[in-house]
Amino acid sequence: MACTQVAKKNPTVSPAITAIGFVGLLVVLLPVIALLSRVPWSNLLNQLTSESSINAIRVSLITSVIAALISVLLGVPLAWYLARGPEGITKWLRPIVISPLVMPPTVAGLALLTLMGRNGLLGKFIYEQTGWAMPFTMAAVVLAGIFVGMPFLVLVVEAVFRQIPVELEEAAQTLGANPSKVFLRISFPLARGGVISGLVLAWARALGEFGATLTFAGSLPGVTRTLPMEVYVAMEVDPASAYSISAMLVVIAITVVFLLRSNLIKAFSGR
Amino acid sequence: MRRTFRAVTSLVVVAVLSACSAGTGKGASDVSGSPESQNTITVFAASSLTKSFTEIGKQFEAENPGLKVVFSFGASSTLAEQINSGAPADVFASASKKSMDSVAALIPNSKVFATNRVVVAYPVAKPLKAIADLNNPAIKWVQCDHQVPCGIAADAALTADGVTGTPVSLEPDVKSVTGKLTALEVDAAIIYATDVKSSGSDFAALEFSNQEKATTKYPIGVTLSAKSKAQAFVDFVFSEAGIKVLGQAGFGGLYTGG
Repeated sequence: MACTQVAKKNPTVSPAITAIGFVGLLVVLLPVIALLSRVPWSNLLNQLTSESSINAIRVSLITSVIAALISVLLGVPLAWYLARGPEGITKWLRPIVISPLVMPPTVAGLALLTLMGRNGLLGKFIYEQTGWAMPFTMAAVVLAGIFVGMPFLVLVVEAVFRQIPVELEEAAQTLGANPSKVFLRISFPLARGGVISGLVLAWARALGEFGATLTFAGSLPGVTRTLPMEVYVAMEVDPASAYSISAMLVVIAITVVFLLRSNLIKAFSGR
Repeated sequence: MRRTFRAVTSLVVVAVLSACSAGTGKGASDVSGSPESQNTITVFAASSLTKSFTEIGKQFEAENPGLKVVFSFGASSTLAEQINSGAPADVFASASKKSMDSVAALIPNSKVFATNRVVVAYPVAKPLKAIADLNNPAIKWVQCDHQVPCGIAADAALTADGVTGTPVSLEPDVKSVTGKLTALEVDAAIIYATDVKSSGSDFAALEFSNQEKATTKYPIGVTLSAKSKAQAFVDFVFSEAGIKVLGQAGFGGLYTGG
């Protein structure tokens, strides 16, 4: 009783806690402001259209978009299984699927190399049969993007699938729809918002990928050198270009987060 | 349930707090200039020095009880950039004069202590016959990026030998290049003779015909803001013990006294 009264009357937060919270905010905000202060705004377009920037933009766009699309293709069914599959199995699968999120990127790169490299578990077989090896190709950049990006999509989409009442799917099934049809006509359309959020998150993560890509795919301009790697290289050669590309990536990141804010709320509120 | 939650929370809090105190502890002692921090020498050194300098650091610490050497290894060009941005280095050992020159405002005096040369390394199991093989598109090879010392030397030596083929990747430092070779993902790699030596008997190398272009000089110097003990480490690199370690690693042009 007393509690609810206090809450109603005075819902303010403690000033001390607020102060600490704002220090936390500054930790996130100040580096971004500092970065943006170095950006040569008047010359931005020139920097972003230099040959090396254009090459990196092209590589990054192609690979991150393909990685995001494949993540949807594979990740949505996986998310559905995690949401609807037998709990005894899914509780073990879930941590495995999410593990790339907490894996150091260079370790992820090494893992991909030991699987798909010329001497890798699978890569060796492919190389012996076809003479083709994945490292140093755009396909390697895409695979690295899927590896680090898809877990985000699975997380979001599974949460959305869980919001869909099982009764709806059961009703459709009683009306004669087979499980695949239930998924395609009921579950997937209902989870569309979540799928879009997951797609954008996976894309953004793939776009920002650095460590796994460098370890697994290398860094060759026009082929495997993505925007984050171009920033790293340009820091030594042409800092103005590094700041310009960074500004673009920051703007993309902030835009993604703002777009997702509303989308995520929709996805999680159950509508 | 609530109890478990509390236990977990307190564990997290303890972990966070201890991490904090470890961090601030170091920072605070750095600022106050306590004897402890005065006795820690921070050395920024080229990637190619990783093994030799780690060994030299161990011997230096054994001979100078109380002194501690902390290393940061990386591409000389990257380290130079960090030093210019205010990284707390006491000593900088660069794989090229160019990178050392770029920090001349902070390290006015430096001295060459060794030389190294880039070579074309390959796995013994799949040997390379000639340097011209690098022009064959079926041969996959890697080198350092163009601004890194090992890349600058590689570019010069490759051009002198008429190589027009392109590498499959331009790596940020020589360790990264060597890693691609030892993982056998490439057929050849332009790395230092010292890297070939330390990667064992599974790898061999072809020499470039223009040795002068393939060679790079290693200058070392202390920063203007260096602690007083930093010079002792530099002196140790030039000492008999230091020269012995560098010589065993395959470095050339070693200081012979006088």
